[in-house]
Amino acid sequence: MSDADFKMLKARPEIRSIDAEAFPKTLPLDGIVRYDMRVNRYRSGDIVVREGDYGNSAFLILQGELVIARSPGIPAEQLGRIQTQREGVLKRVASLWRNSWVPEVRDVDRYGRQTEDQGARTRKRGAYLQDVPAIMREQDTIILVEGTLFGELAALGRVPRSTTIFAESPAVVMEIRWQGLRDIMKFDQKWRRKINDLYRDTALKSYLRQIDILSGVSQEHSSAIAKHCLFETYGTFDWNVTFRRGKPDEPVIASEGDYPDGLLVIRAGFARLSMRYGKGRRTLTYLGAGDMYGLHELYQAWKDPTSTNLRLKFTISALGYVDVIRIPATVLDEHVFPNIRKPHDPNVDALQRNVAEDALMEWALDKRYMNGTQSMVIDLDKCIRCDDCVRACAATHNGNPRFRREGPIFDHWMVANACMHCKDPVCMIGCPTGAIHRSIEGGTVLINDDTCIGCATCANSCPYNNIVMVPIRNRQGIPVIDTAESGLPIMKATKCDLCAGRPGGPACVRACPHDALTRFDFRDFQVEAMD
Amino acid sequence: MIPLAQRLVLPLLFSAGLFAVLWIWKGRVINELGDPAIVTGWFLFAVILFLGAYNVRKKLAAFNVGPARAWLALHIAGGLLAVCIFLFHTGTLWPTGIYEQILATLFWIVTITGFFGVAVIVIYPRRLTDSGLEINYEEIPSKIYDIRERAEAEVVACTEKSGESTLADHYVDTMDWYFRRPRFYINYLVGGIGAEAWIRSHGDAVRRYLSADETPFLDRLLSLADEKTAIDRQYACQDIMRKWLVAHVPFSVALIGISVWHLILVHVYAK
Repeated sequence: MSDADFKMLKARPEIRSIDAEAFPKTLPLDGIVRYDMRVNRYRSGDIVVREGDYGNSAFLILQGELVIARSPGIPAEQLGRIQTQREGVLKRVASLWRNSWVPEVRDVDRYGRQTEDQGARTRKRGAYLQDVPAIMREQDTIILVEGTLFGELAALGRVPRSTTIFAESPAVVMEIRWQGLRDIMKFDQKWRRKINDLYRDTALKSYLRQIDILSGVSQEHSSAIAKHCLFETYGTFDWNVTFRRGKPDEPVIASEGDYPDGLLVIRAGFARLSMRYGKGRRTLTYLGAGDMYGLHELYQAWKDPTSTNLRLKFTISALGYVDVIRIPATVLDEHVFPNIRKPHDPNVDALQRNVAEDALMEWALDKRYMNGTQSMVIDLDKCIRCDDCVRACAATHNGNPRFRREGPIFDHWMVANACMHCKDPVCMIGCPTGAIHRSIEGGTVLINDDTCIGCATCANSCPYNNIVMVPIRNRQGIPVIDTAESGLPIMKATKCDLCAGRPGGPACVRACPHDALTRFDFRDFQVEAMD
Repeated sequence: MIPLAQRLVLPLLFSAGLFAVLWIWKGRVINELGDPAIVTGWFLFAVILFLGAYNVRKKLAAFNVGPARAWLALHIAGGLLAVCIFLFHTGTLWPTGIYEQILATLFWIVTITGFFGVAVIVIYPRRLTDSGLEINYEEIPSKIYDIRERAEAEVVACTEKSGESTLADHYVDTMDWYFRRPRFYINYLVGGIGAEAWIRSHGDAVRRYLSADETPFLDRLLSLADEKTAIDRQYACQDIMRKWLVAHVPFSVALIGISVWHLILVHVYAK
């Protein structure tokens, strides 16, 4: 950050009002401003955040105004998304002889045909909107004025951006990384209150209503619960970095033997439930978004305060990153427990299993496979290593397979190196053009080859090495070189797209004659493996 | 993930139903003083064509022509149906006449290789998993080369360190044969432990002549041999899982071709 920008930020009332004395010497406010914030200058049409993107930063408007395109929303094509269309029969017939023997051949003229406005040759499609006046005419918009803070929900809660925000006219915006935002919230009460209140006002009530035990409570009780909820975050947002280095974080949220002071509701991320076993810790299960911990013990304490068996039976720890809502015990006693029946404790069932039965869970959580919604699992007791799956994948992707039939093995299960279409898609964080995105239709994580600039942010972020950067070639099979700038081959990110647009689902699954290959959500896989 | 036996139930019932229909049809043709061999022959040809279509299906990955697992189950059940119809059609295991015998030879080769294939897909994947190693077939030659390089480096280092050539001589005389290429192919296929026994005996044979300096090199050599054993087992099992098709598919194509000629001949001479 330049000194001028630093001074400008320090002079802003929002920053000036922060009590710098409250910050420890090891983490001064100036350091956060300088290293966790940056000043972005947007031109007319520049997209600040795209609907559906996973971001890791929040924004504060310093000068000018931004526009929320509320309804009907910016067309996906203008946001750099792929419109997955069902592939016609003729095209599929043609693929029988048109698939190239040369790897990663592209129609490079297509990239040239991508419309770029004459005055902004450096701007990539997906990073700006072309016809802002038309968008302003056709969209139901909301204007965000100077001083507005936005994007904090996606930055702190690992949820997709709910709307597209762009600049109609030039604007200056401060962007703050989630780490900086979290630190400021930790040491400055006003910011903490401001952001928590924003969340309470915008999303919390509707979220709480989705929780089973709270779905039946009245509006009045619901408001009281929302008012007292506490927001906690454990682990690091970019857990994939430490995981890839082989030193995964797993901070403890609540320990076995502690007295529970509130119900823990997982809002985002995953948590491991474990207990002491011998000299180690035995994993019983994991909790994902919407799961709760401590309900049974809290209910017992409310029902029979004299009971001696009120301590937590298990330890709950963050598998990388987890966002928790803590509903205090007193709030539950007053507003929830009188209206519900004794809850079943699902975790007790896990104690019926032996450690050998839990070994798969232990292994999978250590590998962080709970994240996968479409993990490619191969039963090696059935697989005859014929590679029909790989060939089918190549046949449906212009001769280029989009996965590798290799990967970690547990017992007779192999989790192959194919995109798992994660619940927490860390690969989507930081894509500068929004080329990697979740399809609205099916939740599949897709890469738009047209807007991918080959920066490898997604490939470097994927904790499972399931995104591969490839040098592309033209139709003559000659590698395409970036002659204008680096002189290096032009790269594109590639990965499994679940055969989007092809009828019948992933070709790899359909091609396996021995029913050895399946795409699993991890919870279903566990059930299958148990069987 | 449904086991093969379970996936076969419906196709087998369907095949049995088809065979019953053929049986009734044949009875009617006989009652009408027709030639039942025409009916059973065409039926058999249709089934053989359907069995051949399974190979075509593999080329049509881009089309939604049903999952390959269903095709395989139908292929196996159809194969059994073809054997029944063949016996029903010819009335014998081995017909008379050279042309018919060629046809029958091809049919039985395809049938036997088919049964062998079913055994292969049931037995060998599990055997590979139990070996505890997973390696791509294409990588096996380079892995073996790498192990041989390391083995030879151990032998050279042993000679340099101890000043003795005992282990090196023994390696050249015996163990070099083992490290050179995949060995004990058939033994692995039948589930034997011939390689382990061979390594142990050749290791023991030389150990008594080695000094304390040389023994660790022999131990490392034997551990490399164990590593190669696991790769050889993978090679044998993966190889047979691919090679059986080399017999099954070409003979199937030949069978279809000769069957077409058989049909033409039958109809020409029937007139």
